[in-house]
Amino acid sequence: MKGRKVKIWAAGVVGILAGGVGLVGTPVHAATKTTITYYTFSAAPDHTKALNAMVAAFEKKNPTIHVVVQNGAYGDYFTKLKTRIVGNLAPDTFELNFENFVPYALSGTLLDLNSQSKKDKTFKKSAYYGKAYNVFAMKGKQYGLPASFSTVVLFYNKDLFKSAGVALPNSSWDWSDEIAASAALKAKLPEGSYADFQPVQFFEFYKTLAAAGGKFFNADKTKVLFNKAPGIAALNNLINRVKDGYMPNKAQLGTVGEIGLFTTGKLAMIHTGIWNFDGFKDLPFGWDIAVEPGSVSPSNHFFSNAVVASAKTKHPEAAWKWARFMTSDPAAVKIRIAASWEIPAVSDKKALAGYLNNPLPANRPAVFEALKYPTVPPVIRQQQQMQDAVSAWLEKALNGSVSVTEALNSAASDVNALLEKE
Amino acid sequence: MNRQSLRSKIVVSIFGLAMLFPFIWMVSSSLKVGAEAFATPPTLIPKHPTLENYRRVFEIIDLPRLFLNSLIISIIIVTLQLTTASLAGYAFARLHFRGKNAIFVVYLATMMIPFQVILVPMFIEMRQLGLIDSYLGLILPTCTSAFAVFLMRQVMLGIPRELEEAAILDGASHFRLFRSIALPLCVPTLATLGILGFMGTWNAFLWPLVMIYSPEKMTLPLGLALLSGEHSSSNDWPMIMAGTTLSIIPIVIVYLLFQRKIAQSFLTAGLKG
Repeated sequence: MKGRKVKIWAAGVVGILAGGVGLVGTPVHAATKTTITYYTFSAAPDHTKALNAMVAAFEKKNPTIHVVVQNGAYGDYFTKLKTRIVGNLAPDTFELNFENFVPYALSGTLLDLNSQSKKDKTFKKSAYYGKAYNVFAMKGKQYGLPASFSTVVLFYNKDLFKSAGVALPNSSWDWSDEIAASAALKAKLPEGSYADFQPVQFFEFYKTLAAAGGKFFNADKTKVLFNKAPGIAALNNLINRVKDGYMPNKAQLGTVGEIGLFTTGKLAMIHTGIWNFDGFKDLPFGWDIAVEPGSVSPSNHFFSNAVVASAKTKHPEAAWKWARFMTSDPAAVKIRIAASWEIPAVSDKKALAGYLNNPLPANRPAVFEALKYPTVPPVIRQQQQMQDAVSAWLEKALNGSVSVTEALNSAASDVNALLEKE
Repeated sequence: MNRQSLRSKIVVSIFGLAMLFPFIWMVSSSLKVGAEAFATPPTLIPKHPTLENYRRVFEIIDLPRLFLNSLIISIIIVTLQLTTASLAGYAFARLHFRGKNAIFVVYLATMMIPFQVILVPMFIEMRQLGLIDSYLGLILPTCTSAFAVFLMRQVMLGIPRELEEAAILDGASHFRLFRSIALPLCVPTLATLGILGFMGTWNAFLWPLVMIYSPEKMTLPLGLALLSGEHSSSNDWPMIMAGTTLSIIPIVIVYLLFQRKIAQSFLTAGLKG
């Protein structure tokens, strides 16, 4: 017994000494490794494994670079990011969505990636989906590499349509078809079930505005144009469907929410993002998607997230390598597709074929069809203030405290005031 | 049992159940699968109870590490708060020095400044001290509490002068008076402050959010926030409920251990001031 204790002690001492002098578990090149940080909002909670797999693949390919992932919750991400930048403690690389990209690019906090791409002989910008690549450029400088993009489509409950005897939605639908189907569904659906849902807020408004043939800003972005006839038609289209009882109002949505209504089989159609594919895969009823109906012209959301680098990073080359790998390397693209982590923003159709092979929803090509008519969010430096102002007036129009025209004129006046300060 | 007593018990039970219901709902939801969490009519007892949501929480976040971080930080902060508050409370209650009342009023006034107002100056201060992304940066700004000082002063004012005078006649110093007479009489208040401080630190979010970057240094609320996704409409609520249920366990244990002392302390704190 005593001998065994001595052996354990001896093994422990040898272990500690070996660890101390770097003989155990320490890579030979540890001292020469470059460590960079990557701060992201889109990985947690569902895609942390996929991100870790990407990091592992990157480090295998680039053994001298170590990437430290810092996950943040989307709701608090920008609060923390701003604090870090103000505190001169910005992460080397981080994630930005297009809506939030502009203020960061304008404030000089982002690295112009052209400085690195010029040195990288194997880099081709054609590897990226053109629209996604270009939206992260400003005044000739490329500030971000698009990692993913997504859109919003019309999801529908096939079983509810069949039981009501209403024809299923298809990509040739326009607003009038959607309203006609909603009326037919409403007549057949039981109490507590609804025909349709589309949120009445900033993001839906600018998209329906474009579908109605309108524009959000004038050409030089000094005044808004959304309070003209197309804007009024767009907002009426959203609000009238609530008034007519096709869409549930706030009280009817209650705490269950639109996703809860759809997943419990009480909503026939919902306009929502393709990020819900994974969450809907086990629903106990048949469902599919179609391109969202338009009016004067097709208009679909285009959201994109990019990897950017801090202008103050001490490791611009390592940051570039990571950003490039994470956004377009075939290994990273494969991992992203396998994890259903939005759509990689690459142009390689072969790589994207894996996305289309997924059996649910059956009409996956509708995603790419939707992206043929992308409408990017209107962005200004004071983005959040603009979104809040517009959404607040839309809400007032929805609850009937002001008319549609009054709401749009008031929102226009608020946003014009913001534009004057740009 | 007389009728009045029965009536008051019924009233208290109704209020108790009303307070308890959100917690019961949280635990119930954490055992449901996605669609059942939104079912109408809602179900209190899950039809197909599952621990899958708990398994996923452990898969997504390093819960043991987060627990340990929160526990260590909470214990250190509470210990420091109790030490500083009892010493300051004794000084304000028992010592005589110029400007005592003015300092006390200023001290109390700090309770009225919302944390958000001092967030940025404090962050800059911590940055200059090189304490960003460190436990010390989390602990230092919260190691004193104006409320705790106030409560300790109130309780120490209630200690009879005779006890103090007798000890002074026996040659006791102020520190001896504090340690052997004042402190033992303040145990219920210390217990109250302990649990309030523990709850506050355990649940703190904003300061840890801006201070801590490294995943291995995160506290529990920061980790739990990661259970919410980019698109709030597609959040997995049963899983979030599972994470929240796990996070309140230590608070419940601490509360159950000290609940008698808490009620006692609040009842006596306002007697003399």
